[in-house]
Amino acid sequence: MAEILLKNAYVIDPISGINGELMDIAISGSRIVEEASQKAEVIDCQGYLTLPGGIDSHTHTSGTKVNFGRYMSPEDMRAGRTARRGPMHITSGYSVPTTYGNSYRYSALGYTTLIEGAMAPLEARHTHEEFKFTPLQDSFANTLFDGNWGMLRALEEGDITRAAAIIAWTLTAVKGFAIKLTNPGGTEAWGFGKNISCINEKIPTFDLTPADIIKGAIRANEMLHLPHSVHLHCNNLGTPGNYTCTIGTFDLVPDINDKRQSLYATHVQFHSYGGSGWGDFCSKSEPVARKVDFSPQIVIDMGQVMFGRTTTMTADGPMEFNLYRLHHDKWSNHDVELETGSGIIPVNYRKKNLVNSIMWAIGLELALLVKNPWQCLLTTDNPNGAPFVKYPEIIALLMSKQYRDAEFATIHPDTEKRVPLPALDRELNWHEIAVMTRAGQARALGIIDLGKGYLMPGAEADIAIYPIKTDEIDPSAEYEKVIAGFSRTEYTIKRGRVVSRRGDAIIDGENTTYWVKPKVPAVYDMQHDPAFIELFERYYTVRMSNYPVQEEYLHRNYCIETETDL
Amino acid sequence: MNVTITFRNRTNPFIPIEAEMITPDAFLQDKEILVGEGNRTVPLEALADLVIEGDGFSIEEVDILIRGDSSRVKRVGEYMNGGTITIEGDIGMHCGNFMSGGRIEILGSAEGWLGREMQGGEILCHGDAGDYCASGYRGGRRGMRGGSVEVIGSVGDFACEHISGGEVLIHGNTGDYACAEMKGGTVTILGDSSRVCANMSAGTCYVYGSAEEMIPTFEKKGIVDHDGLLFHHFMGDVANRGRGHLYVARYTYLQ
Repeated sequence: MAEILLKNAYVIDPISGINGELMDIAISGSRIVEEASQKAEVIDCQGYLTLPGGIDSHTHTSGTKVNFGRYMSPEDMRAGRTARRGPMHITSGYSVPTTYGNSYRYSALGYTTLIEGAMAPLEARHTHEEFKFTPLQDSFANTLFDGNWGMLRALEEGDITRAAAIIAWTLTAVKGFAIKLTNPGGTEAWGFGKNISCINEKIPTFDLTPADIIKGAIRANEMLHLPHSVHLHCNNLGTPGNYTCTIGTFDLVPDINDKRQSLYATHVQFHSYGGSGWGDFCSKSEPVARKVDFSPQIVIDMGQVMFGRTTTMTADGPMEFNLYRLHHDKWSNHDVELETGSGIIPVNYRKKNLVNSIMWAIGLELALLVKNPWQCLLTTDNPNGAPFVKYPEIIALLMSKQYRDAEFATIHPDTEKRVPLPALDRELNWHEIAVMTRAGQARALGIIDLGKGYLMPGAEADIAIYPIKTDEIDPSAEYEKVIAGFSRTEYTIKRGRVVSRRGDAIIDGENTTYWVKPKVPAVYDMQHDPAFIELFERYYTVRMSNYPVQEEYLHRNYCIETETDL
Repeated sequence: MNVTITFRNRTNPFIPIEAEMITPDAFLQDKEILVGEGNRTVPLEALADLVIEGDGFSIEEVDILIRGDSSRVKRVGEYMNGGTITIEGDIGMHCGNFMSGGRIEILGSAEGWLGREMQGGEILCHGDAGDYCASGYRGGRRGMRGGSVEVIGSVGDFACEHISGGEVLIHGNTGDYACAEMKGGTVTILGDSSRVCANMSAGTCYVYGSAEEMIPTFEKKGIVDHDGLLFHHFMGDVANRGRGHLYVARYTYLQ
């Protein structure tokens, strides 16, 4: 087996409790081991910052939705073109790059694991095919259940066990990883041209409220002992005054798991708005952050907005329609039968725009106000808030008050009256950044047991070495150096092989797709359940036997089997 | 500096040549001119005879003459900012992309995307031009922004799509959807046109011939005298809250 010895690595590994120690790391095959033999290839890390490989817990890089973003935005494909070079394929695109573009650029930032934020079960094959061509990062797929008729019917009947069984069958069939709820009830209502205003409103097609769906899904999730919690995109995304809805949603969440949170709320920046309309739109990051501080059962991610062009894409169809009415530009709307929907529009976040400036501030405020970095993870909801290539800039903003003030001076002048950002002096340190970009994600996703997110013997050898000497630069003043350092790793190591060197991918790579298979007793096996088969035959345009994604689509994969309480 | 490029006959004349380096600027800086033929990159001399006479000290002194079969040579004059290019025969797609200065004269016809997204300078085409003459590119929001394009023959579909500045004069007819999404500038069509100015928001367009299948969402303002001729004056596209001006000599609506 190939061996690598990393010498003089300045390691920050929050999960193992290491905060800045010079040490050697030995790798044998795909794992980190105690000691390497004499034959090991030696890499001198020169005291550079060495972190576990980055994990993006919510990103949209693969699947039909992303692909539709690609072909409705030919202008985006004109940006970011790179030619074929060595083992690197040709790439193009900026906010919705080609799969290789995503993979190479993430790898240059030190990311080795990606969680696709929303995969419609019916369209899972395409997602898995794109995973195969995102070769430098392991992939996980959050699977959409917000409008799943089978699950909604079971919840309507009050039968959580049956809902759990349907979730188990679907996750196994489509090779998904976790339960994603996008605007629960709202996307279903959108199939009939409507939306849901908040968690206690009945949805038009079922005798249920979003609150019922969220609570039911959380309980079903724990019955199945899934590694990750329910992954929620709250109702009312992007509407002024939606923070009350967000806090109300957080109030629903019981604390029922000792190892991790019970609810992962994604891109909370888009859900922390105050005001009654666009005229008095303001930041409500403070109450939301305070709520998170008092709720250890909740983990959020930022969903930071950065200025510039990007493409928004979500399963939240009605929200995208509202955005379309604001922008009057291209719009794609899509319904996935019996399951969910989606919408896509290109946007340009501008500094001159007051609303965009406030959005930019809210994301940063959430990260600075939430006391525990394990509870607020760094994302942009790529590419909705900004393409992921902006992560280094976000890290620098969080680490430097001076940089934030300099940026603040360039945005819309009225922002000052609407946001608390200028009053926040907190500057995150290297350890906190390591938590927010990899360790926190590994814990929240429940994948530490798979060897992700830490650097002790037994862990998967996913390592990012950044050309940063933490004792030589002062992040609060030299933020340019922080941006440069995090933009391009010296080495990115994936499963024991150096995959990226100073920004260039150096091997083809081969990733693993992780999926879950809850062990369901025969009584609850939906494969043979007459009522479930009938639902399929009556409503789906696809036969039940053709629905599951065959393993051929998966390439290299790892099945996480879980014991259930059914 | 006079540069004469004579393309030689090729075994397979249908393989396109990507020649974005053929600009006065590149010759003035004495760069090695590389072109793409199919999937390989070769020096220009491999495909054409190159004769350079005299020295140039400024871009205005560089004159390029292209002879031989250049009908598959694409992107000539891309980002050109001065000097002249004269093409004796036909020219391939994307001639004068993004050009900001200088002059291109085509004695034959041009393929699609002539003067796409140009910002300044002058293009004169003695023959016909293909689709998307003086327009924007796929997915783009702004097309030609400045300069002038004159086509003596006819043009294809989507001429001047997304145009937001500059002047275009077409002596012949246009295909479908001329001036679609027009945002500014002036377009004059001396021949006929069909479904002209769909979704326009600003700018001015004259059709001296007949405007077939007029878009119904234009508000008629009356009859005006222009250039000694009477024109129907329309404003629109109302569907887009547009305030563009469309003048047509004759028109028919879709039956």
